[in-house]
Amino acid sequence: MPNVLTVRGLKKSYGSQMALAGIDFEVQAGEVFALIGPNGAGKTTTLRIVATLLTSSAGEITFLDRDLCKDPDFVREKISYLPEEAGAYKDMKGLDYLHFMANFYARTPEEEKEFVDRAVAITELGDRLRTKVGTYSKGMTRKLLLARALMTKPVLAILDEPTSGLDVLNALEVREIVRRYVKEGTSVLLSSHNMLEIEFLSDRVALIDKGRILDSGTPQELKDKHNAKNLEEVFRSSVR
Amino acid sequence: MKRFTNLLKKEIKELVTKQLIISLAFTVILFNFIGQVSKKEVRKAIGVQTISALDEDGSAASKALVQGLASARFKILDQSGKTKEQAIETAKAGESKLLLVIPKGFGDSLTELKPSEIETYSFMRSFSLIGTRGQIVVQSVISALNEALSNNFLKEKLPGIDPASLKKPIKSKDFVVVQDRMAEGSANMVAGLISQQSLLIPVVLMMIVIYSSQMVISAVAMEKQNKTLETLLTVPIKRTSIITAKMLAAGLVGLISAGVYMVGFKGFFGGIGDEAGLAGVQASGTAMMRQLGLYFNTSGYVILGLSIFLAILVALALAMILGVLAEDFRSAQTMIMPLMFMVMIPYFISLFADINTVSLPIKIFILAIPFSHPFLVSQNLYLGNYGMIAAGLAYMLIVFVILVVFAARIFSTDKILTMKLRFGKKKAAVA
Repeated sequence: MPNVLTVRGLKKSYGSQMALAGIDFEVQAGEVFALIGPNGAGKTTTLRIVATLLTSSAGEITFLDRDLCKDPDFVREKISYLPEEAGAYKDMKGLDYLHFMANFYARTPEEEKEFVDRAVAITELGDRLRTKVGTYSKGMTRKLLLARALMTKPVLAILDEPTSGLDVLNALEVREIVRRYVKEGTSVLLSSHNMLEIEFLSDRVALIDKGRILDSGTPQELKDKHNAKNLEEVFRSSVR
Repeated sequence: MKRFTNLLKKEIKELVTKQLIISLAFTVILFNFIGQVSKKEVRKAIGVQTISALDEDGSAASKALVQGLASARFKILDQSGKTKEQAIETAKAGESKLLLVIPKGFGDSLTELKPSEIETYSFMRSFSLIGTRGQIVVQSVISALNEALSNNFLKEKLPGIDPASLKKPIKSKDFVVVQDRMAEGSANMVAGLISQQSLLIPVVLMMIVIYSSQMVISAVAMEKQNKTLETLLTVPIKRTSIITAKMLAAGLVGLISAGVYMVGFKGFFGGIGDEAGLAGVQASGTAMMRQLGLYFNTSGYVILGLSIFLAILVALALAMILGVLAEDFRSAQTMIMPLMFMVMIPYFISLFADINTVSLPIKIFILAIPFSHPFLVSQNLYLGNYGMIAAGLAYMLIVFVILVVFAARIFSTDKILTMKLRFGKKKAAVA
């Protein structure tokens, strides 16, 4: 499968503090690629750089055969990013929020309607979408934001801790939605520190710690390689 | 353009809240109400004043005195035949602001050129500034009495000579010269009228700058607080469009808000000013100002408008940068302070000093503040200092461009997410 995203020797430092010490990975078309690691490992920094929010200190990132750093406007047309602690405009109604966001991507009113209809289906919030976002529970807001991220069927969806702070049922639902959209052609780059969740959700994973990728492969490959029962044990083995 | 309009609409909707509309409507209604009440009170206070008079003397002099008062815009309620106590009670119960008692022997004392004494009782029924105008009535009455009596005395003793010429043998005829124009009038009057004409500029400027800046700072800070900024920065819209949409929305809403407040203020001040009988003075003043060339023609208004507009742009660009530094809505409230000081410093200095005559370091300091220039425009227009005006406009434009480029740079780099101001700690910190 062709690569949607290729990252080579990516480095990032904040002053004297090194956040990424040169990482390499690629995301193939139609796969879920996950970065897993503890807090502060460099997952969010990587995702923010790919989402064009931060600039890299060194390295190369190619997105659909274009240099991501040189052509951020092109990248923003094709990706969507769901930050870990994202929020929506609290005074907007859910439906208005979806229309507002769809308007940035849609070329015609028909396309905007198509995006919004898709998002409405993802959220399953029904009439609650006609109420203000400020009245939503955390789970409802997260589903709204996930719907916003997937409604345009982006080439690459970048999801930072997509199930962060959600209860078991909501988290399960979010994971199912992500899997469904991958089948429809969207590639996903996600991060999580919940390694068991990643095992269920991802096609391939990269273990990241202290700004370096320790190992990468399919969950099964990694478990076999490290003779581990699950990814948590793989991670422990890699760190040692 | 479609994306920009989409964002602009959202920014305007966020700023035009129910609270803002209610607050604006309330202010206009309140100021108009106060203005109407004040208008009524001022009308009462400056209208014909009612005073009671008890003439115990009954001499020709005392009668002349009461008649003199009647001809000097006082409505006289005659209390003759009553005792002093009865007269006080009657006046107190009525609408008189003052009771004038002319004791027996008043006329004789005058004839003998001895100091004559009259008694006045002023009835205070309220302690408001307008309500206590009864006190001024007392002074007016005594002054009118003294004038009438001294005139009568001089006419009697020196018939054929105008008492006014005797009392004020030297009269001055004042002229004001401004550059090559001259008009009859006093310098004080000119200065007063100019400050009156220029009063609106700092008020308008301060209000628009403060409202708009507050809105821009809050708009950016709220994006941070609500965790919507990161998402907004990854949607396909240029960063400069994000800045422009936020500035334009805040500028428009700030302008409208300030306009509505000004209407409210006009209702308030109009209530007082219209009735104060200043129309005549204003008309003669306006004629004098025109004669001296101290008025704005169309191009003058255009230049003044341009200057204010540039000052607003500078404020908005500066507010955008301050908004980035704010961590949340609460810290955004503090961020407005430096801007407020920058507007207030030239305002207060222009109130108490002539910026053109202050020492060089202070002058440089004042001129370095972009918001000083709109304060100086009217003065420079009157004096024909077009070079200074052009320099001021150019300076504001340069400052605006620098600030916008800086703001755009912040929005296009990591700084939009990593820059923040922490009071008492490091100035710029990495998130």
